[in-house]
Amino acid sequence: MQIRNDQQRYGAVAQLLHWSIVVLIITQFSLAFKAGGLPLGPAKIAVLAQHKSFGMTIFALAVLRLIWRLVNPVPAMPQTTVRWQRIAAHLSHGALYALILITPLFGWMMSSARNFPVSWFGVFTFPDLVQPDQARYEFFHEMHEILALTLAGIALLHVAAALKHHFFDRDNVLRRMLPLKLKA
Amino acid sequence: MKLSRIASFAAVILTAAGLALAATQWTLQPKESTLTFAATQAGAPFEGKFEKFTADIVFDPQDLAGSRFDVQIDLASVNSRDGERDGIIRSADLFDVKRWPSGSYVADKFSASGGNKFTATGKLTLRDVTREVPIEFTFEHHNGSAWLKGTAAIKRLDFGVGQGEWKDTATVANEVKIRFALLLK
Repeated sequence: MQIRNDQQRYGAVAQLLHWSIVVLIITQFSLAFKAGGLPLGPAKIAVLAQHKSFGMTIFALAVLRLIWRLVNPVPAMPQTTVRWQRIAAHLSHGALYALILITPLFGWMMSSARNFPVSWFGVFTFPDLVQPDQARYEFFHEMHEILALTLAGIALLHVAAALKHHFFDRDNVLRRMLPLKLKA
Repeated sequence: MKLSRIASFAAVILTAAGLALAATQWTLQPKESTLTFAATQAGAPFEGKFEKFTADIVFDPQDLAGSRFDVQIDLASVNSRDGERDGIIRSADLFDVKRWPSGSYVADKFSASGGNKFTATGKLTLRDVTREVPIEFTFEHHNGSAWLKGTAAIKRLDFGVGQGEWKDTATVANEVKIRFALLLK
């Protein structure tokens, strides 16, 4: 498969970044719910450490993904796509890019605000972004959750739209983000 | 008469010499002084401090034999900038401040390590465990006040700080660094 994008499809790098972020985001929700049900103890700290490590991984992959997008062509939308759907697609893609960057960033600030610094799998520790403060922690925590739920909501719309293109419109929109041959 | 005059003169000389040799008794300035620790959880170090402690410091670089530290720490005054974590640190599984409200460090053996550097060997007590812990410190003396700054490294489980699930060192490391900066007058 081609490495770079062209007008018709996403290349291997863009696909790899897209699907690894998908897997990581699903993992993040399951870890967050797991941690939410635990009292503060070694088990919760361990689960949250994984959540933070994966979150910082998403942040790094999101940065790479935006850079890769800037230096690659973006495959065109099908000719038949109506105006409101083009606008909706642009808005939702823009929001998803923003959210995969901002959600981890708020998680990072939330950790700093509670003086639970962020380590990447124990390999290195990220610097604290803000000074510890209870009110600040609560604000960032709330924002982190709202952003994550917004991300989930838009991602579900994104999935619904991709499936609609694949099964109803029978076009290449989903295919071109998968290692599949495009329909003529 | 002559003999007693000599004796009293000798007594005065000896007393003066004794005063000159006696290590200085310092008074801790609690506002400026800090006692902090750095622990590691899930690979990420975090700092906390003890808000309340007293330090009875008798120290003179010229009279290490007469020097002595006696530090008493109010363990319930721990502040790691997170109330929930502080609650756990005070609880029965960690410091158990209800049974052992204070920790102490008492040292009376000192050695010079060159320049303004020294090593103290003293006994640290946490919970019901007392163990010898060396501390490295510097002593800087200017115009009647002095900064005593140093570090120590301990293993929390050596003192039983971590019972039950907190014995696990994979999540909360065994090693804890202690740092202090005491302003003395």
